[in-house]
Amino acid sequence: MKKWLLIAGATLALAGCGNSNAEDGADFPNKNVEIVAPASPGGGWDLTARSVQKALQDNELVTENINVQNKPGGGGEVGWKYLEKQDAHTLAVNSSLLITNNLLGTSELTHEDFTPLAILSTEWLSIAVAPDSPYSNLEELMNAIKEDPKSIKIGVGPALGNNDHLSLVQLAGEYGIDAKDLNFLVYEGGGDVVTALLGGHVDFVTTSMSEVKEQHLAGKLKILGISSEERVEDLEDVPTYQEQGVDMVFPHWRGIMGPPNMTEEEIAYWDEQLAAMAETELWQEIVENNDWDSYYMNSEETSAFLKEQTEMYESLVEDAGMGQ
Amino acid sequence: MDAFIEGLTTSLQPMNILWIVIGGFLGTVVGMLPGLGPATAVAVLIPVTFGMDPVSALILMAAIYYGAMYGGSRSSILLNTPGDGSAIAATFDGYPMARQGKAGEAMALSAVASFVGGIMAVFGFILLAQPLANFALRFGPAEYFLLMLLTLSAIVSLSMGKMVKGFISMSLGLLIGTIGIDTQSGVYRFTFGITELSEGLDFLIVIIGIYALGEVLFNFLTIDEDSKKERKKVGKIWFTKDQWKRSRMPMLRSGPLGFIIGVLPGAGGTIASMLSYSSEKQLSKKPEEFGKGAPEGLAAPESANNAASVGAMIPLLTMGIPGSGTTAVMLGALIMLGIRPGPLLFENQPETVWTLVNSMFIGNVALVIINIVLVGLLVKILDTPAKILYPLIVMLAFIGTYTLSYTAFDFFLLILFGYFGLVMKILDFPLAPLILAAIVGGDMEQNFRMALSASNGSLGIFFNSGVSIALLVLIILSLCYPLIVKAFQRRKADPIS
Repeated sequence: MKKWLLIAGATLALAGCGNSNAEDGADFPNKNVEIVAPASPGGGWDLTARSVQKALQDNELVTENINVQNKPGGGGEVGWKYLEKQDAHTLAVNSSLLITNNLLGTSELTHEDFTPLAILSTEWLSIAVAPDSPYSNLEELMNAIKEDPKSIKIGVGPALGNNDHLSLVQLAGEYGIDAKDLNFLVYEGGGDVVTALLGGHVDFVTTSMSEVKEQHLAGKLKILGISSEERVEDLEDVPTYQEQGVDMVFPHWRGIMGPPNMTEEEIAYWDEQLAAMAETELWQEIVENNDWDSYYMNSEETSAFLKEQTEMYESLVEDAGMGQ
Repeated sequence: MDAFIEGLTTSLQPMNILWIVIGGFLGTVVGMLPGLGPATAVAVLIPVTFGMDPVSALILMAAIYYGAMYGGSRSSILLNTPGDGSAIAATFDGYPMARQGKAGEAMALSAVASFVGGIMAVFGFILLAQPLANFALRFGPAEYFLLMLLTLSAIVSLSMGKMVKGFISMSLGLLIGTIGIDTQSGVYRFTFGITELSEGLDFLIVIIGIYALGEVLFNFLTIDEDSKKERKKVGKIWFTKDQWKRSRMPMLRSGPLGFIIGVLPGAGGTIASMLSYSSEKQLSKKPEEFGKGAPEGLAAPESANNAASVGAMIPLLTMGIPGSGTTAVMLGALIMLGIRPGPLLFENQPETVWTLVNSMFIGNVALVIINIVLVGLLVKILDTPAKILYPLIVMLAFIGTYTLSYTAFDFFLLILFGYFGLVMKILDFPLAPLILAAIVGGDMEQNFRMALSASNGSLGIFFNSGVSIALLVLIILSLCYPLIVKAFQRRKADPIS
């Protein structure tokens, strides 16, 4: 009986600690910070989470310990559901999947269920073909698809409804092609897509520029176009989609958000630290090494941006015939 | 050549040798523990590698990777609980050897086999990296499908004498493989609205549940004090001349086989070790001893899976394409450090590549020593009383499972598969076909459908290339093999006909 009392007492004491911390907002943060990467180690989300961890800690922007937690599953769903129940010491990395999962009917969550804190970086998407491909620009390729959509095999991964896929849906739409006719082979990931193109198993691929950049520089394949506003460093010979007469810019952005119901002080704290982080040399070096681009927006801008993006993705998912 | 010498000097720097030894040791340890694999170990180390010289970081991560191949078989041999797919084949003969009181011999033999496979693969890397990378590109969806089919047919044909049970076991594994998102259509299958199931079951949970937990539960049923005393024999810590003679050639054959399969992105150590085991059984003059503690049945897959881990570096470094979970994590870490694996790496930074190659030489030498030294320590595990050992295994199983995706939901799956494994053991169903089918089943289906989608529905695509025809022939051979053996046995038994 004594034991039970002891345990009960200890539990109460612990619970008491938890409460007092939460009420005392002034010295936030006051315990370890956790960054959730809602994916397995190795991917873009994981790298983003670990880069933020590194940049915040090494520049002493956050003095508390920062841990990265991998919570893979459901295209982010598992990690984000976890975030929903945490306090402002836990953040999670996100991307457009936060929007599209809901539109595709695989998730109930939207960006409105969280507190968006920042957009951090972006990758650009690209269309690539084999070096001996008969198509030398976007127009030739799209015209060939228009003529016989089934004859042209497209490599994409890891799932339909992602940015690689939807950016092509938008591109094809600009050329008047019905995206539902496209012949996709869905590979497990970006690397497999590139292997398939190198081995001649598909006619072209739609994937992140970083996946194909090295191969392009080595002459093993050819990038026909890139979804950025301006041509990118090291790939000055590759025209943007816009230059080829298609009015679209398509970022593959990644951002970071906190749980719902954060206080204004907490939001202000993270706004300040993340803005400072985006300016550090270390962060910019990481961005450059990964072939990302800086794309920083603060919490307010991010909220507006996510709204815009939701509208855009809504129409793309509809065009792809995947709407729910 | 200059770059090779430069790479050798760099890898011989004391600091780098230290990293190799640390990485190798760490890899051995995580390889031994169920669930904790090299991918997790490398991911955890990413923040540490930030401050390091990029080349040292690469050496360290690679050492963890092949170190885990050495360590992986320890628990397979001692406890019949493989920690990863590539260690499953080591249970077939490794565990029977341990039960016969030859645990020490088995572990020493497997360390040497890993060493032989590793060194052969490093030579293969030096001579053949580029042509093999090009060969791997010829593997399209059709070829991958056939390769996986070959693996499955080989594993089923291993369950001779209980063929039907083998097939049932494999079919269950294939069923497990269909859980989760179907990537070709984006439809969720058999997830019952549970988010944790949306990307399918992690096969490691299946392995840990069926083998580790199943083994513990099974032993609870059969435990008695006498068997404990009998198992105290651990044998010598070095293998006999006869064991060496029998395993020598299988090791030498399995090294190149494992290496080539390792080069194929996505195939990896599991398929390599399984195919080498089944082909050695088919080549053997005493196939009936396989599964009952044949030393060559342990040496072959051990050589193959270590060679495969070296082979997996080839697509990573020459094309920037990761062929396995661990190499995917390594790719991410390297990019952050400013090393860009890809076709230009060999031209722009050849010394980086050659440093890695040389470090793999040193690493394999270090690892064989580490692992043989550890044999004396590890055999003590068998002396541990069951009441301490089994709870410990259960604890490790749960910890390992939790580290896979940090969700308690996986515990339910683990327990479920633990009981599943127990039932299978009681009914004497072979476990390996189920696990293997669960590992390759999903990919096999996706590749099958991608192939058909590429050919607009024509099955002709499976006969389209030299590689696929060769694979088809091998599949037919491996399926007919049990029949041929039976025919021979009948003739022997009945000399008149």
